[in-house]
Amino acid sequence: MASKLLSTALRRRSSPLLRSFSTAAAAVAHDSSEPSGISIKGVKIAGRPLYLDMQATSPVDPRVLDAMLPYYLSQFGNPHSRTHLYGWESDAAVELARSQVASLINASPKEIVFTSGATESNNISVKGVMHFYKEKKRHVITTQTEHKCVLDSCRHLQQEGFDVTYLPVNSDGIIDLDTFRSAIRPDTGLVSVMTVNNEIGVIQPMEEIGRICRERNIPFHTDAAQAVGKIPIDVEKMNVSLMSISAHKIYGPKGVGALYMRRRPRIRVEPQMSGGGQERGIRSGTVPTPLVVGMGAACEVAKKEMEYDEKRICKLQERLLSGIRARLDGVVVNGSEERRYAGNLNLSFAYVEGESLLMGLKEVAVSSGSACTSASLEPSYVLRALGVDEDMAHTSIRFGIGRFTTEEEVDRAVELTVRQVEKLREMSPLYEMVKEGIDIKNIQWSQH
Amino acid sequence: MASAALPSVGRSEVLSLLRSFLRTTRKFEDYNVREYSKRRTIDAFRQNKDLSPPSAVSAAFSDGESQLEVARRQATVYSLYAPKVKSIMEI
Repeated sequence: MASKLLSTALRRRSSPLLRSFSTAAAAVAHDSSEPSGISIKGVKIAGRPLYLDMQATSPVDPRVLDAMLPYYLSQFGNPHSRTHLYGWESDAAVELARSQVASLINASPKEIVFTSGATESNNISVKGVMHFYKEKKRHVITTQTEHKCVLDSCRHLQQEGFDVTYLPVNSDGIIDLDTFRSAIRPDTGLVSVMTVNNEIGVIQPMEEIGRICRERNIPFHTDAAQAVGKIPIDVEKMNVSLMSISAHKIYGPKGVGALYMRRRPRIRVEPQMSGGGQERGIRSGTVPTPLVVGMGAACEVAKKEMEYDEKRICKLQERLLSGIRARLDGVVVNGSEERRYAGNLNLSFAYVEGESLLMGLKEVAVSSGSACTSASLEPSYVLRALGVDEDMAHTSIRFGIGRFTTEEEVDRAVELTVRQVEKLREMSPLYEMVKEGIDIKNIQWSQH
Repeated sequence: MASAALPSVGRSEVLSLLRSFLRTTRKFEDYNVREYSKRRTIDAFRQNKDLSPPSAVSAAFSDGESQLEVARRQATVYSLYAPKVKSIMEI
């Protein structure tokens, strides 16, 4: 109260020096010097959107950045230089990072190979294993909901003459173990099933699949890019022979990943990159020290924070889901609600068109479908494999909750989503018909 | 041996560390990192409130001190590269 009197008294004086402290002058300065918000691709938003797309990528944790920076500044050596300090300290850092990655998945550091990302690790696993054992093994088993890089590698193998079985999934996204068992042939050389699906977040029954593969002596590869550091992973319990890890999904830098390759029993692959024989000949090329150090730091932080993050993310997911369900009906969760990773929530909103929903949600960074396929117009193949109707598949939104998401962001996302969905439904004639009780699926549309 | 050489960590040192942490985390320019570091600091101190053997207490304290250094450095780095437009949560 006193400050208000003081400021009005000062303003009445209106000397130019004092004017600079008054709010009126500040408002004028704001309009002329700073752009009010961002205008890009024809969309105008007041500030940077809140980020709820953690499955596409995640922000780099400050602790990870702190570990990486020295290797961009003064400790820039090539880890393969054997003759001077720069090489020795780089090599020591790479080996430390290797042990950090290994301890997250209960592996030995000798079993970790650094690659440029989970896509490269998947390629090495699928193509490398089959090319190595191509005399005796001609069959691969994978699922219909795998990541595009695995499916594309399998297609490449099919063109080379291998046989591939794409296992169907149930409507909750999980494969049926009996179908899997009956698909195994004597010449099956690889089974590839991803641990946590990037689009719908369901967790496959890894231990059971691993047990079956161990019984039949088939190498088991899993794309664990979305799972590592978020749910407890143990390569011994899961009986995996190969595992792909990606750094930028666990708050690490982009451009680096790892491949776990079991030593007992040893799995052999044919390398894809020819060169100086780095990384035990599996992946030649200079190991990017700062990226690898970042990945190691990210894995170490993830190991320490896993319990805390998981509790928090579960609570945030419940808040998001119950917030939306309390105000909207016709909301469907895609994928199993029990066997899922809490940070991935894929919702379909009935009687709403997907593109318009996303266009109205510009203040929330979410995605529909996966980042890899959102460029194309067709509905996500994962949702189609679940048996979701075309119209529901088009209207699916994937909310990704992560370590840095706050309760206020979740509440704001709920508010914006509900408002947008209500607005679209109000305009939708289909929704009017549904409210009147007409069954849409059994309408006889008359031809004009 | 190392823990015997360190002075025993008392309540006032811990509180002063917590205050330094909160002062530092307030300086982060990024909304998400600021909220996270504030929340995580408070939760970590709360979780370690009842640590009993003095060696565990001094280990946690020195871990806290090194994390504070990381936070100080990163607060500077983040402010050097702060985006011109803030997050929509801060507007």
